[in-house]
Amino acid sequence: MDQILFALLNGTIYGLLLFMVSAGLTLIFGMMGVLNFAHASFYMLGAYFAYTLQPLTGFWLAIILAPILVMGVGILVERFILRHVHEHGHAHELLVTFGLSVVIAEMIKMVYGKFAVDYRVPAELNFAAFSLSGIDYPFYRLFMGGIAVVMFIAIYLLLTKTRVGIVVRSAIYRPQMVEALGHNVPMVFMGVFGIGAALAGLAGAVAGAFYTTNPNMALELGVMVFVVVVVGGLGSMGGAMAASLLIGITNSLAVGSDFRIADILTWIGMGGWADEVGGLLTMRMSSLAATLPFFIMLLVLVLRPSGLMGEKE
Amino acid sequence: MGFQKFARGTAAMALVLGAATAAQAEPLKIALVETLSGPQASTGLLYRDAVKYQLSKINEAGGFGGAPIELLEFDNQGGPVGAADRVRAAISEGADIILQGSSSAVAGQVTEDVRKYNLRNAGNEVLYVNLGGEAMELTGAKCHYYHFRTTPNAAIRVNTIMDGMQEAGVLGERIYAMNQNYSWGIDVQDNTVEAAGRLGVEVVETTLHDVNKIQDFSPYVQRIQAADADTVITGNWSNDLLLLMKATSGAGLDVRFGTAFLDQPGNIGNAGAVAEGHFLSTTFNPEVNPEESAVFMEDYKAFTGHYPSYVEPTAVFGMMLLGEALKSVEPTEDGLNAADLAVALENARVETPMGPVYIRAEDHQIVQSMIVQEVSRDAKYKSDDTEFGFVPIKVIAAEDAEQPVQDSCKMKRPG
Repeated sequence: MDQILFALLNGTIYGLLLFMVSAGLTLIFGMMGVLNFAHASFYMLGAYFAYTLQPLTGFWLAIILAPILVMGVGILVERFILRHVHEHGHAHELLVTFGLSVVIAEMIKMVYGKFAVDYRVPAELNFAAFSLSGIDYPFYRLFMGGIAVVMFIAIYLLLTKTRVGIVVRSAIYRPQMVEALGHNVPMVFMGVFGIGAALAGLAGAVAGAFYTTNPNMALELGVMVFVVVVVGGLGSMGGAMAASLLIGITNSLAVGSDFRIADILTWIGMGGWADEVGGLLTMRMSSLAATLPFFIMLLVLVLRPSGLMGEKE
Repeated sequence: MGFQKFARGTAAMALVLGAATAAQAEPLKIALVETLSGPQASTGLLYRDAVKYQLSKINEAGGFGGAPIELLEFDNQGGPVGAADRVRAAISEGADIILQGSSSAVAGQVTEDVRKYNLRNAGNEVLYVNLGGEAMELTGAKCHYYHFRTTPNAAIRVNTIMDGMQEAGVLGERIYAMNQNYSWGIDVQDNTVEAAGRLGVEVVETTLHDVNKIQDFSPYVQRIQAADADTVITGNWSNDLLLLMKATSGAGLDVRFGTAFLDQPGNIGNAGAVAEGHFLSTTFNPEVNPEESAVFMEDYKAFTGHYPSYVEPTAVFGMMLLGEALKSVEPTEDGLNAADLAVALENARVETPMGPVYIRAEDHQIVQSMIVQEVSRDAKYKSDDTEFGFVPIKVIAAEDAEQPVQDSCKMKRPG
């Protein structure tokens, strides 16, 4: 029982981390129709900025300042790069952001070196929150989950309950109309891009200390974030949350399971045959765990191409 | 520094110019087919440093046939597909020797390509020096006459680490084998199970997981806890090792890790105190034979800007062996005859700071001593500017580290 409880908790926290990064991506897509390949790079920048600031300002200020810096980078990217490419269509935007992700990764390698840096959880946060049947649960994991939840609530309230939110949401659906009503749509775009980048930066600043801060972190998380956004439905904040949790929890449960396809066949008396055939039939679920999200994505794309909660086809 | 660099450059230039006028034969070309860009480039670039370092020594001593050896660099971009392509390019540019180190998956491709090329081009063979691919099949089912492995393999790593830990009294009774799901990880797992049987300890569970895709290792840690393991034996490298260790320590589990690649730069810096007390078995430790090791350490640092660690000492020792073999080969009119070099490599023997190294003729596996070491504050050379480093626990002599030739190796010798 404790095992399952832990698996659920682990999966939820990991899902919440995925949400923190994918929230910005889905926001930017929903708003501007830009599939931002460089989004995970903002996550990495957040981690490296926080790592750089930490000795100067302390941990707390670092994780507040880092996202603001990343927001600045995001705004510059939107204003001086994306805006010019926008009129040429999606393919160009995709290529530009892809190129940008490569440039950011190489610049990080030039400045900070090719290996992981020693960005770590500060000692005062490095303790066990509680202990269950012999396993300590690190407080910092709960802290990361808490930040993600606060972030989700804040964005949700901002988008649904405020005037700014109304403008942003209407700019998603009818940009020309909103512009005709006298709102500065390019400015709104810039703001959304900046905030999306800042959210990823915050996730990086917080998670970089817990996992590792290295030049590959964008790549490692980037793929998973795209899976989340596709499964959740491009542009849907609620969908991103649901998909993040779904992927986090299935992954965590799958790792703990020794289930094999051969086990099902045993019920109908073909277990021996399956063991003989081997291959996929005797592959343990735990060794397939990291593949499951892609399987989920495939299923979603086949059965419901717009994603779990997506509206745009 | 500036002047030194200038001086070295001028000297090299003079050497090149001098040699060009003196020697008639084409200079020997060695191709380094490594991962020089992309996410796994960090390891590939270390191989390049090590190769360049030792090659400069070989060239200072006269190169090959009176001409300095030329190093061609090819970027395989981390995958077998890129490697196959680059190997072809290297051969068509006239390389007689191919060097490659990072990833057993890539090594598997390179060795097959070289084998097939040699079948089709008898009399004009190329030779593959495998500086770092440690999967068993490379000197097993895939072994062939023109492949030479100058790095330990999974059996050597696992057996030495477990012997060393057993002797230090820290192995415990219950072993967990946690590995990456590809040739190397599977080999580590199989050898762990075998070695456990020999040592009379129990492997309580084995797990294979995806390679460098997992961010969150806590579910795996939970399995280690549920299995009530004392020690985790793992062939994991890079992030897969770092995240696993951090997650384990975060969960407050008191298990010890026995590893093959804990000395990768950045690992100790990132893990900090989390790494303390964990074990590593590798081919070098600067505190063994300190006088000669210190000379090597400082000389290497003067050349590359950093102390050798991780794959670098192993690669340097491999290159030393290659240099020694080249000394006893006479150049023919088309340069190097790979068949002659293969014979020379089988007979070469060099003294490294860690003792003698030589190639075993039966499967072309290097035989060298292994040093079982522990992460500790008492280390003389600290890693990544932390207070931790590696202290040697046990030096296992070459003959004792050696593992039997695999039955699957059916090497066809020429003639």
